[in-house]
Amino acid sequence: METSMMAQHSKIERLVANMEKVMIGKREAVELTVVALLTEGHVLLEDVPGVGKTMLVRSLAKSLDLDFKRIQFTPDLLPSDVTGMSVYNQKEMTFEFRAGPIFGNIVLADEINRTSPKTQSALLESMEERNITVDGNTMALKRPFFVMATQNPIEYEGTYALPEAQLDRFLLKLQLGYPTLQEEVEMLDRTSAVHPVDQIEAVMTKEEVIDLQQEVKHTHLSQHVKEYIVKIIHQTRNHSMLDLGASPRASIALMRASKGYAFLQGRDYVIPDDVKQMAPHVLSHRLLVSSEARFEGRTVTSIVNEVINQTMVPMDRG
Amino acid sequence: MRLNGNPAHPWMSLILYVGAMLLLFEWITPLEIVSDTGYVHLFYLFVAYCFLLTAIHMPVWLRSPLKLVGLLFIIHYLFFDVTFLSREWIGHLISDLQVNIELFSGQNWMQLTPLFRTLLFLILLWMLSYLLYYWFVIVKRPLSFIVFTFIYITVLDTFTDYSAIWPIIRSFVIGVSILGVSHLFKMAENERIRIQSFRVLMKWLAPLLIVIVVGTSIGYAAPKFDPQWPDPVPFLQGAAEEGFSGSGFQNQVQRIGYGENDEQLGGGFLADDTTVFYASARTSQYWKVETKDFYTGKGWERTVEGEFIEGAPGEVLALQPYDIDVERIPTESTIQMVEPGNLTKLPYRYGTTSFTDFPVKYNPETGEVNNLSGSPSDGYHIEVMRPNFPLNTLREARNLDWHVSDAYLQLPDSIPDRIHHLTQEIIEGEENPYDQAKAIEQFFTRDGYEYETEDVPVPYEEADFVDQFLFETKRGYCDHYSTSMVVMLRSADIPARWVKGFTGGELANQANVFDTEGMNTYEIQNNHAHSWVEAYFPEVGWVPFEPTVGFSNQSDFVTGEDTEDLLDDREETEDYEQDIPEPELDEGPEQEETEEEDENETAGASDFSGYTFVKWLVVIGLSLFVLWLIFRNRYRFLSYWKKNQLKRNPDQKTFVNAYGFLLKLLSNEGYRMKSGQTLREFATHVDRQMGNSDMSSLTSYYERAVYREEDLSNENDQIDRLWNKIVRNLIA
Repeated sequence: METSMMAQHSKIERLVANMEKVMIGKREAVELTVVALLTEGHVLLEDVPGVGKTMLVRSLAKSLDLDFKRIQFTPDLLPSDVTGMSVYNQKEMTFEFRAGPIFGNIVLADEINRTSPKTQSALLESMEERNITVDGNTMALKRPFFVMATQNPIEYEGTYALPEAQLDRFLLKLQLGYPTLQEEVEMLDRTSAVHPVDQIEAVMTKEEVIDLQQEVKHTHLSQHVKEYIVKIIHQTRNHSMLDLGASPRASIALMRASKGYAFLQGRDYVIPDDVKQMAPHVLSHRLLVSSEARFEGRTVTSIVNEVINQTMVPMDRG
Repeated sequence: MRLNGNPAHPWMSLILYVGAMLLLFEWITPLEIVSDTGYVHLFYLFVAYCFLLTAIHMPVWLRSPLKLVGLLFIIHYLFFDVTFLSREWIGHLISDLQVNIELFSGQNWMQLTPLFRTLLFLILLWMLSYLLYYWFVIVKRPLSFIVFTFIYITVLDTFTDYSAIWPIIRSFVIGVSILGVSHLFKMAENERIRIQSFRVLMKWLAPLLIVIVVGTSIGYAAPKFDPQWPDPVPFLQGAAEEGFSGSGFQNQVQRIGYGENDEQLGGGFLADDTTVFYASARTSQYWKVETKDFYTGKGWERTVEGEFIEGAPGEVLALQPYDIDVERIPTESTIQMVEPGNLTKLPYRYGTTSFTDFPVKYNPETGEVNNLSGSPSDGYHIEVMRPNFPLNTLREARNLDWHVSDAYLQLPDSIPDRIHHLTQEIIEGEENPYDQAKAIEQFFTRDGYEYETEDVPVPYEEADFVDQFLFETKRGYCDHYSTSMVVMLRSADIPARWVKGFTGGELANQANVFDTEGMNTYEIQNNHAHSWVEAYFPEVGWVPFEPTVGFSNQSDFVTGEDTEDLLDDREETEDYEQDIPEPELDEGPEQEETEEEDENETAGASDFSGYTFVKWLVVIGLSLFVLWLIFRNRYRFLSYWKKNQLKRNPDQKTFVNAYGFLLKLLSNEGYRMKSGQTLREFATHVDRQMGNSDMSSLTSYYERAVYREEDLSNENDQIDRLWNKIVRNLIA
């Protein structure tokens, strides 16, 4: 157990290191992305343009030797542009299915809030169910299946904000943020000749990813920590500054994310630190801050942190 | 410093060294009391000087001359007027040394000059200072010297006037400190621990100090048993006295029989049934020997010397002139001396008019009568005109026209005011001096003072003898009562003096010393030595009073016409009856009775008598202090317990428990876990403060135990080590 754990961990380490060659100073975002991948979750990247959202996905895809697809969402994009459609083959005299970009292993859904709800839901439903029905035929999506959606928070003109119920489908919501001065200088250094994303090699095969995904599910989660997760979730439901608390699906998400994070740290058991680390990323897009709180200048992150700090860390108190 | 017997811990050596010096001081302190040594402070100085020089690092050729100069300077200061180290000075010294060396060789030890003796003593101190340095700092074997110090002090306490209560306490504190420190020393050496800073040293010493303080205070405040065996000193003294025929220990504070020196009253009164003399008399009457007039606050001295007058055998002496008012009854007595011991003067009765057997020299003022011819142990016959004091005249006497010396109203300046207040309280309402005197005489019996001959303290340095008796001890024997009454009479402006002599003695039925018809023979023993009071009343003279409880006034008082008065006065009625000899009057049985009572009472009371409120406060305070210490150090005690638990049971429950305890301990030390903080975050915080990673390591074990639910019994050693290390760091 120990040795296999060590081996798995070193694989993940290699993956993270590989991605970090591209994503300078974004270790947290990289790690969270890997956590989402490992726990078969999906990531919503919300940040201003140009901070490396696409680069993050590309570096992941290149490191993994997986099929990478990109969908640029525009207002006129149709659901069939995502899923693919049946086309009549006149030579064969049959309808044959042209798979859309959703049939990739890693799908980048760029600027997902720019397209119509109809198209959005086509993607989001497939994310949850991992299969897709086109023209009455249900088709399984590829495994592993990992969606990274990005959205731009500053533009509201002509955008369709994702409904809360849809946001729930994403395991994590990430922000990249601007790099620091040194990081940015280093970034210029690295990109002056050839872009590093073009240089990195795949460090993990598809099978290895699937293996890891299975492995993560077996991460030990003690009763204490389970209770801790549920306590945090429950507190969001009773919080006066939140109009909408976290759903049971959030509990599951937090558990999965915590397991993934523990695994990423090379542990085969979850400690409260993992939960604490994951909670803001898991919860922030699932909660609705009340208008009074927003008026007071409270953000969802500050409220989640407050909830975590008020929750007693589980201990065996003998 | 040469105190580098242990280079790692110079502090320790210094403490030992200073302790040695303080112990040596305890040897010097009693000298002032038990010998004729004066200027004790100079010897302290010299010891300190020698210790200092021994401790300072300097060449030997410099150290010894420096000490010698110090020694000579002290000699100079004490004995020389001329310039220090001048030619004349050296000449004096050398000649003195020569004289003494001759005396020395002639073994005339007692004639050595003070200078020479001081010189020898200083040299002894010099040697001792080096010896102690060697014992305490070099070989670190202080125990024997400490034990010797205790023996020395206790022996002095037992056999001399030296009161060793505080010296014992001091020596205990010093001794235990020294032993504790030297032990600590050895432990540190064995464990190869370096105690670098004074702060760390204090941490080491704190428990020792607490033990000393608590032990000493409890020892001081706790009730103590009375001695479980009789005091050996009287026995030894008795034995010695036999050898020295009673004169050797006359100046001891313990009193036996009749003595000349009354400068220091108090202390036990020892029973001694040696017969002093036999007397034939019709009734039992007091035997007067002499009076004293000057009260020093501690005892009696004589300042009114009077004049000695010679009286031929049978001549009517002016020994006890009473005014014409005083009715006299003729009687007589014959005295046969047996073992007079210290008694060189002749005892006689009130109203004695003549000594028929030999010429005497007598002093009407002090009442002394000396035999002019023959040895004092001869027998003699006295003619007595026994006075009956007229009550009416006595009562009419007023505080006017005293025809007596002011010396009989003397009181020391140091006399506490409360004696005066008490006197005023007693005599309030009594109009005439006689009734006032009676009131004072009866005060002691009325107020429950106890007759006690053994457990009687000598007053402390500052204390007034009377004051201590009246207000503090409230127990004593004749000297206490008589002295107190004289002081109180004088305080009430009634002239009074202190009389010494013997009581009437015991009726001796077997001895046929005298063959006189119609007379009783009385045996007067050393036990019957007594003191009482005489007060002066104009137109009457010196009237005896008996304040001592258990004794009664044997003088006769008559009222003249008014017989009712006579019946009223119980005291006087009794006195009338005393023409019949009563065994009760004898000191022996009466004394025994009182003693028994005293014993019963003191047995019950001794545990708490003198066990004052303050001492209780000390005890309660200390208990609270100890409880507080325990509470304060509860984590320390608990940690030992948990440590052992952890060692014995390597299961998860114990570990979780011990970890929980550690968190409490940390919280007590100021590392409080914040709400919502995880163990890992907390451990990181603690480690950052402590400068290591022990807490994080231990926490990861805890995480494995609790969150992974793993069995860690294989790694118990590691856990144990980490836990102990953290706890040790926290508690240290």
